[in-house]
Amino acid sequence: MAQDKAQEMAPDTRARDVEVQLTRAGLGVARRLGDRAGGLLFDRLLRILEARHPRAFTALGELPDAHLLIDPVDAPAALLLRVGPGLALRVCDRTAEAEATVRGPCARLLDLLEGRIDGDALFFRRELSIEGDTALILALRNTLDGEEMDLFGDVAAAAGPLRHALPVARRNAGRALDLLATARRFAPPPVRWGMAVLERRLTGPRQGA
Amino acid sequence: MGSFELICPAGNPAALRAAVDAGADAVYLGFRDETNARNFPGLNFSRPELAEAIAYAHARSVQVFVAINTYPQAGNLAPWQRAVDDAARLKADAVILADLGLLDYAAKRHPDLRLHLSVQASAANAEAIRLYREAFGVRRVVLPRVLTVPEIARLNAEVDVETEVFVFGGLCPMAEGRCSLSSYATGLSPNKQGVCSPASHVRYEPRGEALASRLGGFTINVFGAGEPAGYPTLCKGRFVPGGGTSSDPAYLFEEPTSLNALALLPELKAAKVCALKIEGRQRGKAYIAAVVGAYRRALDAFERGLPVPALDLEAMVEGGAQTTGAYTRAWR
Repeated sequence: MAQDKAQEMAPDTRARDVEVQLTRAGLGVARRLGDRAGGLLFDRLLRILEARHPRAFTALGELPDAHLLIDPVDAPAALLLRVGPGLALRVCDRTAEAEATVRGPCARLLDLLEGRIDGDALFFRRELSIEGDTALILALRNTLDGEEMDLFGDVAAAAGPLRHALPVARRNAGRALDLLATARRFAPPPVRWGMAVLERRLTGPRQGA
Repeated sequence: MGSFELICPAGNPAALRAAVDAGADAVYLGFRDETNARNFPGLNFSRPELAEAIAYAHARSVQVFVAINTYPQAGNLAPWQRAVDDAARLKADAVILADLGLLDYAAKRHPDLRLHLSVQASAANAEAIRLYREAFGVRRVVLPRVLTVPEIARLNAEVDVETEVFVFGGLCPMAEGRCSLSSYATGLSPNKQGVCSPASHVRYEPRGEALASRLGGFTINVFGAGEPAGYPTLCKGRFVPGGGTSSDPAYLFEEPTSLNALALLPELKAAKVCALKIEGRQRGKAYIAAVVGAYRRALDAFERGLPVPALDLEAMVEGGAQTTGAYTRAWR
């Protein structure tokens, strides 16, 4: 019985895969939208997260004014987080100037944001690299780790009816992925090519790669 | 003798909840200032957060110990004394202190407050421990990680004080927190400001596939491509002895490795150790949940006489390596 419960509560890695793909696609879309429209999207995202995690945002706002480059190395673009009184988040080139830089695979950075994995452990394994102002990175990591953050859950909760759909979607993510893979396998070549082109457009080539 | 108590770290309220939920018997933590030895950016507890933390823990029959274990500076006692007063006011189950003057203050001002002697005090013999017991009524001593298990057994036979030992996490080989290496390199003190290798003085530099770690302007290690990395502490840096250029840099004091004394549970029980401590107040809540949960399962099995499950914690340890440290060190 206890084992069944543990099984049921184990993190759904397939749902995580979907969320990682969505994040990468989202970064690609934001980059294509440009500074103005993309900026509005990220402003909205920050406001949603701030409403859910006021303590963390107060702490980030109290940091000295500085820029932190968050670089998911397998995504089409990076993020520039401005901490301090002018807290802001923007999509950017992975060569953008910043006081500190954190680099790692998109999935790992998402895990870190949500406190699913220990940052020191990632660093020991060399899956995460950091450069620049270590104190700034540590302050950000420790502040976020103090929250119970769930990026997709938080966004869904702000979107009203979606909050009921998310747990269902997460439970069924594996089945949906399998269906998608099957559809892709059996689709006629033009449709398959179309899907591939769409995926490339969304995720885009790696900048600076 | 009863079961081991499992004493777990918490760097912030979320980590405390993770430790409590994963099976801690007690959680230790510190205030967000220089009064504790983990004074890092974004860590530790405000007074209201401590009140919430104690309420959460006590509702689940878990104790909270407040570490006030740095050394007050000359002419600036107030932050340390206020920390003791606030811990007592908020009903902490114990304060973990190192400084003689602060122990005296706490014993006189709060006679009902339980006092634990911090590992920072480096009390490693029966005479020292008896003095703390008789002078200040210290109830428990956290033993420095320089003793072998037979030495701990001999010590416990001679003193009427509970002893607590570290079983998992980072090692502090340079006489525990009393080391001055980091102060030399950075001008900031682990003993006075609670910062060993302060992040403001740490830089990581990619050098091709290698990674260099620098502290206060000194390059203290270079990790090769794919080599597991460690903390930027001088005691685990690689150096060329004598400033020569012929030999390769080597670990002169200690290697990047973490303590894991799980295999020594029977010996520690026979040595009459009361409590087992997990290190890592600077670690994330994922580390806390994984390590505390694994140790809880291991201790429960041990207490019931069942085979102790192996811990799959390799990913969590510094440098990807584990050691039983001084507990079994043959050269001692």
